[in-house]
Amino acid sequence: MSSLDQKSPNVLLQSLCCKIIGKTEAEVAHQFQYAVRVIGSNYAPTIERDEFLVSEKIKKELLKQRREADAALFSELHRKLQTQGVLKHRWSILYLLLSLCEDPRKPSRGASFGALIAQALPRDAHSTPFYCARPQSLSLSHPERFSLAQNPNSMGTSGVSSLGVYSLNGPQILLAGHQTAAESLRQPLGSHLAWNLLPTASPSFAPTSRGPLLPVITSARSALRQQRDGDSNAEIGEATLVRDILYVFQGIDGKFIKMCSQANCYKIDEKVLLSRSLRDTSSRLAELGWLHNKVRKYTDARSLDRAFGLVGQSFCASLHQELKEYYRLLSVLHSQLQVEDDQGLNLGAESNLTLRRLLVWTYDPKVRLKTLAALVDFCQGRKGGELASAVHAYGKTGDPYMRALVQHILGLVSHPILNFLYRWIYDGELEDTYHEFFVASDPTVKTDRLWHDKYTLRKSMIPSFITMDQANKVLLIGKSINFLHQVCHDRTSPGKIVPASKSMDSPRDAAELFADQEGAFQGKIDAAYFDTSKYLLDVLNRNYLLLEHLQAMRRYLLLGQGDFIRHLMDLLKPELVRPATTLYQHNLTGILETAIRATNAQFDSPEILKRLDVRLLEVSPGDTGWDVFSLDYHVDGPIATVFTRECMSHYLRVFNFLWRAKRMEYTLTDIWKGQMCNAKLLKNMPELSGVLHQCHILASEMVHFIHQMQYYITFEVLECSWDELWNKVQHAQDLDHIIAAHEVFLNTIITRCLLDTNNRSLLNQLRAIFDQIIEFQNAQDTLYRSGLEELQHRLQFEEKKRQRQEEGEWGVTTVQEAKESRHVQEFQETIPKMRSQLRILTHFYQGMVQQFLVLLMTSSDESLQFLSFRLDFNEHYKARDPRLRASLGASRGRRSSNM
Amino acid sequence: MASAANMNAVRETMDVLLEISRLLNTGLDIESLSLCVRLCEQGINPEALSSVIKELRKASDAMKVSESSKG
Repeated sequence: MSSLDQKSPNVLLQSLCCKIIGKTEAEVAHQFQYAVRVIGSNYAPTIERDEFLVSEKIKKELLKQRREADAALFSELHRKLQTQGVLKHRWSILYLLLSLCEDPRKPSRGASFGALIAQALPRDAHSTPFYCARPQSLSLSHPERFSLAQNPNSMGTSGVSSLGVYSLNGPQILLAGHQTAAESLRQPLGSHLAWNLLPTASPSFAPTSRGPLLPVITSARSALRQQRDGDSNAEIGEATLVRDILYVFQGIDGKFIKMCSQANCYKIDEKVLLSRSLRDTSSRLAELGWLHNKVRKYTDARSLDRAFGLVGQSFCASLHQELKEYYRLLSVLHSQLQVEDDQGLNLGAESNLTLRRLLVWTYDPKVRLKTLAALVDFCQGRKGGELASAVHAYGKTGDPYMRALVQHILGLVSHPILNFLYRWIYDGELEDTYHEFFVASDPTVKTDRLWHDKYTLRKSMIPSFITMDQANKVLLIGKSINFLHQVCHDRTSPGKIVPASKSMDSPRDAAELFADQEGAFQGKIDAAYFDTSKYLLDVLNRNYLLLEHLQAMRRYLLLGQGDFIRHLMDLLKPELVRPATTLYQHNLTGILETAIRATNAQFDSPEILKRLDVRLLEVSPGDTGWDVFSLDYHVDGPIATVFTRECMSHYLRVFNFLWRAKRMEYTLTDIWKGQMCNAKLLKNMPELSGVLHQCHILASEMVHFIHQMQYYITFEVLECSWDELWNKVQHAQDLDHIIAAHEVFLNTIITRCLLDTNNRSLLNQLRAIFDQIIEFQNAQDTLYRSGLEELQHRLQFEEKKRQRQEEGEWGVTTVQEAKESRHVQEFQETIPKMRSQLRILTHFYQGMVQQFLVLLMTSSDESLQFLSFRLDFNEHYKARDPRLRASLGASRGRRSSNM
Repeated sequence: MASAANMNAVRETMDVLLEISRLLNTGLDIESLSLCVRLCEQGINPEALSSVIKELRKASDAMKVSESSKG
């Protein structure tokens, strides 16, 4: 014993042979050769190298032989063995001892053992790849291993688990004697094959070994067959049907039950004689095979289809998982059948596998497979979020068992979606090769339109468990991150923006997260939304001065900076009266610079002032500078997202309108100045006083009109809208809110300034009124010019007269006097012409204002109606025009009827 | 160089194994058992070994039967 490891295995083997046969070395040469071959060909063990398992088996074996005391003794000995660390391969020795174990009550064990092997051989040869080749590892008498085998994550989806309940009572009894058979099955087939295929070179040995073995095999087989199949002419037995059914369960045609391709169902061979009830039961069982085939066909077709996408793949994977559980059940049933075969007659009839038992055991798996098949049907042709929606729809069932199953699948299916979602809202990355996610990106869109056009929602791909509101928020979050990166060139890591921990959720979490609508998921999205949007707005305000630009728009394009505009107008006046074609942009730009430097505008930040520019609109023939001049504000980079081209064109239109109105005010101021200056001079010409009075009246009418208009534009339109906009911008949560508020602001202004299509007639009327004002200015200018000329002439005449008198001549001669009086006469004759011209002007003007008022009255906008009251404060026009009265009443009536 | 303690341990181990073998009714005497243990310790597949032993036994039985019938 001291030389435990010194001798080679061959030597040891030889001495073992000698010892057992009890002959000398020379006599046992054949046996030795055989032993070497067997051992050499089976070098790697096929069993688990687990000492614990082996010792457990030994205990069981002893208990089975009703030797409880010996079992206890064995445990003691085993423990002792473990404490001594001499042996390296304890399991191996224990296993050897176990295999050599002989039940004293069963002397003929060796023979039946061989028969079992022979039985097992053909079945293994044509088992399906899914049929587990080692059924004993799942035998029902091992409940503790059962629970180990189940996937702890699968929420009890194991199809076998349902069987575990039965195993507590039924199968437990059924399989009590199963252990020994399973034990013997564990013998590798290889050694027996090697034994049986022993070369005939050793004839002295072979017959002796085969002699007792072969007859046993054949006899056992035939006995079994007779027991099972009965007479071949008679009807087939239930056991055969059970065997067939088990194949059908896997979608393989059995001997009698075959797939009928026309009817698309499993049918029992018509020729087979079979009692009605058996036929019925097996048809019902065969449904399971049909369901299995359906699910399997779907997964087989889809799992290789790359374009099916990640969501589809995980759907297939979850189906596979379910099928695996199903196969596990089948393998248990198979091993059960095998055990019955092996045990043969030993077991009572009531513990056999029968169709009825199968019906009960497969009830749950059938319900499961039915659901899966329905799901597969429903999900046909869907992918991505659509698929998840479809699965989710099936989760709305009252059956908790079904709901758990669908929930589990949904968890797996939505996991990729959740991954997309987290990548998107935390990193802004869209890795959606198969277009499964509900955010779509258009790669052709350039960065300047990124916010508006690049990312859109794929409506069909929004899973039904995500609300539209959430989807929009998700879109916005990722868009904000991308906007920050690509447009603002802000490289802050997203982790800093969103402090929330982005723990990777497992599929189970995914399902729970989606199921829990109001809770965690919503919270996560909201948190990410708030943080990201806030960060984006901060960046825009801090680095890109969004709010300052907004104010600059108001001050320059909407003429908020009064002193600057006034000064600019002063400076531009001589330029702008010239024809538009003679204007040069650089001259105007220079004037703009001067105006900025001279007024409060100079205190604005250079960032804003450098964007301010002059723009000349398209020149049409006959335009003066006034018509084409416009201020411009350059926007680029991130703020261009708010101030888009459309916005800027709106701004320009509004500016044009305001500039025109402003010019009217300016013109009227000039008119008034002229009147004041010239009033004193022309006092000496009493014949002009009537005309001048007319002028004054018309001018003040116009002043009133323009003042009211300006009041309306400034206070009712600009200030109100601006205040609204400013409030909204201050409280905006994301960039979209700002953009929306800004658009509302612009639209309001456009509408209120009569620039939209509905108010075209009003605007035209107003333009005509403005034109009248210009005309009046011209008329008055000519009036004053001729008046002043006449005055000059008279003064000169008087001067000459005085000069001559001083020289001692006659002040005037007759000829001169006649000439002078003729001149005065001529001048006085022009006065009625002026008068009538003024009257025509007044008439036209008043007609236009009247028309304008009528249009205002009929307008639906209340502020415009109020404007009409203000313009016609003394009801002068109302008295003149019955339409005004009528429409006023009508509008009042309309309003009251609205209330 | 096996020390005395080691020798003791080996002997005890063999005793235990023999006891187990007796419990399990394997029919191995101490000598065969020791051979088997050595073989196992060298990494021989116990399955193969057990089948070999069984067959050897059968062969020896057959020999004895034929001898006795002859004799």
